Amino acid sequence: MPYLTDDEKRILQGEEGYVPQLCMQYLVEVCEVSGAERLIDLDGTGDFHTPTTSMSPFYEFSFEELKKLVDSGAHFKIPTFANKAPFFAVPPVDGWEDCNLCSYGDPEKMHCNPEFHREAMRDEWFELYRKMGMMTTHSCASYLTASYLPTMGQHCAWNESSAVPYCNANLGARTNIDGSFATCFLGKAAYYDMHITENRYATVEVRSERMISSDLEWDVFGFAVGEEVGVKVPVLTGTAKPNMTQIMKLNSGMNTSGAVRMYHIPGSTPEAHTLEEALGGRKPQRVAIIGEAELKRAYETLNFHTSDDVDMVYLGCPHLNIVDLMLLARKLEGKKCRVPLWIMSTPWLFDVAKKLGYLKIFKDAGASLMTGTCLAAMGGVPGGVRNLAVDSAKQSYYITGCYPDDDNRLQVCYGSQDDCIDAALTGKWRGEWR
Amino acid sequence: MAEKIIIKGRCEYPGKVRAEALVSPKPLEGFTNCNPRKGYTTERNHPLFKVPYNGKVMVYPLPRGSGGFMMYGSGPMKPAAFVHTEGCPLSVACAMVAHVPSMTDFERDPMEVIETGDIVFVNADEGYIEITKKD
Repeated sequence: MPYLTDDEKRILQGEEGYVPQLCMQYLVEVCEVSGAERLIDLDGTGDFHTPTTSMSPFYEFSFEELKKLVDSGAHFKIPTFANKAPFFAVPPVDGWEDCNLCSYGDPEKMHCNPEFHREAMRDEWFELYRKMGMMTTHSCASYLTASYLPTMGQHCAWNESSAVPYCNANLGARTNIDGSFATCFLGKAAYYDMHITENRYATVEVRSERMISSDLEWDVFGFAVGEEVGVKVPVLTGTAKPNMTQIMKLNSGMNTSGAVRMYHIPGSTPEAHTLEEALGGRKPQRVAIIGEAELKRAYETLNFHTSDDVDMVYLGCPHLNIVDLMLLARKLEGKKCRVPLWIMSTPWLFDVAKKLGYLKIFKDAGASLMTGTCLAAMGGVPGGVRNLAVDSAKQSYYITGCYPDDDNRLQVCYGSQDDCIDAALTGKWRGEWR
Repeated sequence: MAEKIIIKGRCEYPGKVRAEALVSPKPLEGFTNCNPRKGYTTERNHPLFKVPYNGKVMVYPLPRGSGGFMMYGSGPMKPAAFVHTEGCPLSVACAMVAHVPSMTDFERDPMEVIETGDIVFVNADEGYIEITKKD
């Protein structure tokens, strides 16, 4: 049993009602399982997978209970955002009309069917959540559109493996995969792992022999780093300074092959200006070298195809930011896709992309802009697609898990965004590691 | 008399169970790379690709990937217990969903000792595992 303040004990005893009690019971169990000795008061931001009321089925409560809570005037204690589109179908929030994909293989549940879409959006829940203050960003990368980000040292409750290192490493705020109704509502989280200063220092130095600088290199490097360090905190040296797109690629790549909640790039990430600071003044437990052989092996692992005939191209894992959309529009202007090209971004950028003229460019090129979800979250690819091209290590590695049977395997061509655009325009894969 | 080895560790989720070990030499990944209805990993290239874990003591080095790692505990097919060398919030969430005995932070790495087919008594209540080597 963790240490609890008198106020926390009162909540646990049910003196503030059923839902607060359930939330506190959940947090106490997180402490017991993780070994956390106490809770920490959150002063940053949070997000969670919606509309689920708990990360654990043992602490879920009903729609009716939520309504009672909302009617009593309850709010989330911290600024709270919605993670991706609503569970369990995770439908595209925008652009769903083009989404000719069955939800988890069920032909009765086509995402482009207006009735299914309406049902899948589960808006009755979000009417309540919005009254509690939730900003329904519906993105695994809510930080892309949130105009309010946590600042250095603030304790948060985020929930997405690829977003957690953005909070920790890139903003210098602190989170585990804490995002849940309970943490956002009570404004508390179990005090362990990345909430604690001592755990945030690097223990492994990862040296890159290649000057990692292109988007593809960052994606592949991220995958190689995750494989190398697992759950350890690395300090990365020998790379260029990543831009925003590259940070997103690094973060999602590392959290496909590993579980890297925190890392340092001296001179780039805010918590350590030098290698020594990143290591907390200690020697690294080990030094790992990522050389040409390791990068090539990662690239080859991420490719999974025998045919170069591409049926579909998917871009936007993690969701594309506004600069990605601008550059993509520039590359597609006046072109015509031979195979379907789906572009995924965050819902709050859809109208921005429309106003800036990108949506029209995409449509004219035969590409579809969608928001709030991804192929893997929707459980597959459209019928007839047997070879998918992607520019994301994460999407490459997860999408094939939906097709484990020999008679129904999905092939994946993985490479740079330019390789993918070329495949969309020609139907052929010509990507290679250089 | 079969060899027995005892290793002390930290209880994540309490309980006691004795079952056959299934050892994953590679870190496990959830989300779409786990099928909880069938009870196996669907990760391409994984040594346990489509190897059923239902009712086994799942022994693995560390969790990785998305928050969907908790699929390993969400059943209906699920391991009888979890034994892992290193953890992070992914394994915490998994233990909380599974509510089966779960242990980590051992004084000796269980991956060096346990082989698939060994019988493992996971006594999370008292903080140890007892391994009976297969013949």
